[in-house]
Amino acid sequence: MDLTLKNVTKNFGGLRAVGDVSFTVPDRSIYGLIGPNGAGKTTVFNLVTGVYKHDEGSIHLGKTDLRPLKPAEIARAGIARTFQNIRLFGQLTVIENLLVACEIDKKASLLSSVLRTKVHYEDESSMRDRALELLGVFDLAHTAEEPSTSLSYGNQRRLEIARAMMLKPKVLLLDEPAAGMNYGEAEGLKKQIRWLRDTFDLTVVLVEHNMQVVMGVCEEIHVLDHGETIAHGTPDQIRNDPAVLAAYLGEEADGTATLASDADAKAPSAKGDEASAKEPGAKGDEASTKGDEASAKGDEASAKGDEASAKDAKGDERGGKAGEGSS
Amino acid sequence: MAGAQAGSTRPMGSGLLKQIALFGGGLLVALLLDFTLDKAISDSSIRQLLMMAACNILVALSLNVINGMAGQFSIGHAGFLGLGGYSAAVVSANLHEALGGGEATFGKSFIVVPVSLLVAALLSGIAGLFVGLPSLRLKGDYLAIVTLGFSEIFRLVIATAQIGDKETIAHAWSSAGSPRGFVHAISVMITSLGGQNGYAGPKDAGVPLYAGPFWVVGLAFVLGVVAWRLKFSGWGRALRALREDEIAAAAVGVDPTRYKVTSFVISAVGAGIAGGLMAMNRDGTPIVQPDSYNFQASFDAITMVILGGSGSVTGAAIGGVFVTFTVKAIELLQSTSAVQALKQRFESLDLNALRMIIYAAVLIALMIVRPEGLLGERELFQKKAPSPAKAK
Repeated sequence: MDLTLKNVTKNFGGLRAVGDVSFTVPDRSIYGLIGPNGAGKTTVFNLVTGVYKHDEGSIHLGKTDLRPLKPAEIARAGIARTFQNIRLFGQLTVIENLLVACEIDKKASLLSSVLRTKVHYEDESSMRDRALELLGVFDLAHTAEEPSTSLSYGNQRRLEIARAMMLKPKVLLLDEPAAGMNYGEAEGLKKQIRWLRDTFDLTVVLVEHNMQVVMGVCEEIHVLDHGETIAHGTPDQIRNDPAVLAAYLGEEADGTATLASDADAKAPSAKGDEASAKEPGAKGDEASTKGDEASAKGDEASAKGDEASAKDAKGDERGGKAGEGSS
Repeated sequence: MAGAQAGSTRPMGSGLLKQIALFGGGLLVALLLDFTLDKAISDSSIRQLLMMAACNILVALSLNVINGMAGQFSIGHAGFLGLGGYSAAVVSANLHEALGGGEATFGKSFIVVPVSLLVAALLSGIAGLFVGLPSLRLKGDYLAIVTLGFSEIFRLVIATAQIGDKETIAHAWSSAGSPRGFVHAISVMITSLGGQNGYAGPKDAGVPLYAGPFWVVGLAFVLGVVAWRLKFSGWGRALRALREDEIAAAAVGVDPTRYKVTSFVISAVGAGIAGGLMAMNRDGTPIVQPDSYNFQASFDAITMVILGGSGSVTGAAIGGVFVTFTVKAIELLQSTSAVQALKQRFESLDLNALRMIIYAAVLIALMIVRPEGLLGERELFQKKAPSPAKAK
């Protein structure tokens, strides 16, 4: 189901956090939402999930208007999310964290839980089976009975994704899933995101600073700055967009101009390659080719100039800091 | 740490048989107690203490739902206890009259106690709903003030009613056509509760004390099992998740509104039953007074929950017993010869104040040794959850 934002605006007092943002996330795509700190990316997530209500515009999942729905109802409608600052249920065990997300398709009523009827036990065991299966997918099954706070930072992030997946979502919103991950872990995350999309038939929207992940996995990218749309396109178009470069790196009168013209020349050929790679073969092949393509692109990017690699470094640095903070 | 899931994943099978054995066994023990307690323990003050402990278990269990599991800080539990106590007293006294008065027999208790407790639970539950509604918007200290306000308003409305007016309730209602008459009729009803002096039945003959050990111990057991099962069900899990992080809970489909309000109602219903049992307690006093439901009573309830371990069902039960016995032990200490000699030496010594100091010292010491309470959120008798491999 498509997730559509139309002219969405959100003000906090006099501050316009999100201004007139419109985009459509196509069904079963992997969609990136990027921008410098404070650009309003997380606010967009909070608007979609109902934590905040937008002042103007509309947000639709398929044909369902999300404006009147409460956060819990939006979750039921099929939008699951993770949080930038991990929000697990600390006092609960790992598996309990997942089981909480089963409340919505629980059959046993409160009374039958108190009476411990057959329905209650059947419910519990089927929910546990599903939770354990998902924990297995995220390689967390061995930690099922541990308190969730005892997990390492990376595992906590994965547990949050697993918890979101318990909702059987149609759309999964990931808020900086790669924060605090090193190069190898981020590569793993890329694979996991693609695998999730292909296996569970869902749409993924990604807010992320780590360009290795964003450029590697997203099929379409929307760029915000100061709450407004500054660019939209494929990873290659975004990589070379002058407005994006200016937002991330600051404007340099002549430097930006030359880079942009350089990039414009290169862009079409890169795009052509991508298209040809997409044509043949089955889904699995496509994913793997894309992965290779992405890493090749990464090299290309670093070769392109100091600025690009500086951008990556910035992302890494941020990730590193987040990691330190949590440990 | 492992196994917060205990009790919820037992294999199916002879479920019904197990249930009958569990509840039947518990009630049978309570029944035996009812007939033997008087003979086994001749000292009525000790009997009273044991019954009080059982009642306090219920007080702690009910408060634990809202303060421990839901993480909402209520300091007005006495209001629900009082509402339950007064309703049960009024209903049981009138029902007793209707049944012809006389001795409060065990047989008649099967009519009086269930009806009284049902009314107590219902009224308390409704009050819980109304106090629970502001909890949707308020948190922490602000919610605490609302709950405290509720309990103090309840107590003061009764305590400050002008008594001496001998108008009957029936007469007052007969002229209750106008709004003014309606308010008058309500105030006559409140007045009939005896104001500061307390309520002792419609003819001041005393509240009939129907709740023997069978009812008190039996209900403590049954509701203890219910509290345990609530905690280890999807509902309890969602409630604890809500306590940990409301936004994240909502993001996985747990509706905070529904869970908070139901937790308030369930807690109030439990308190109503506990208050009702205390009012009808066979070894208690045949009168309910507003002062039994002052802030001190709310505070004692909080102490029980925190001492036992916030969120722990068995912890709350232990806390209830512990507080009951500690208070009693300090009272006993007062009458020892050494303390009495001290009192004679220093005339101005206030023994009641001394009691509070010792009580406070015990609490402080416990909080230093075990800041998370005796059990934390863990449970006694918790089965280890099946290992993941086995569960698969």
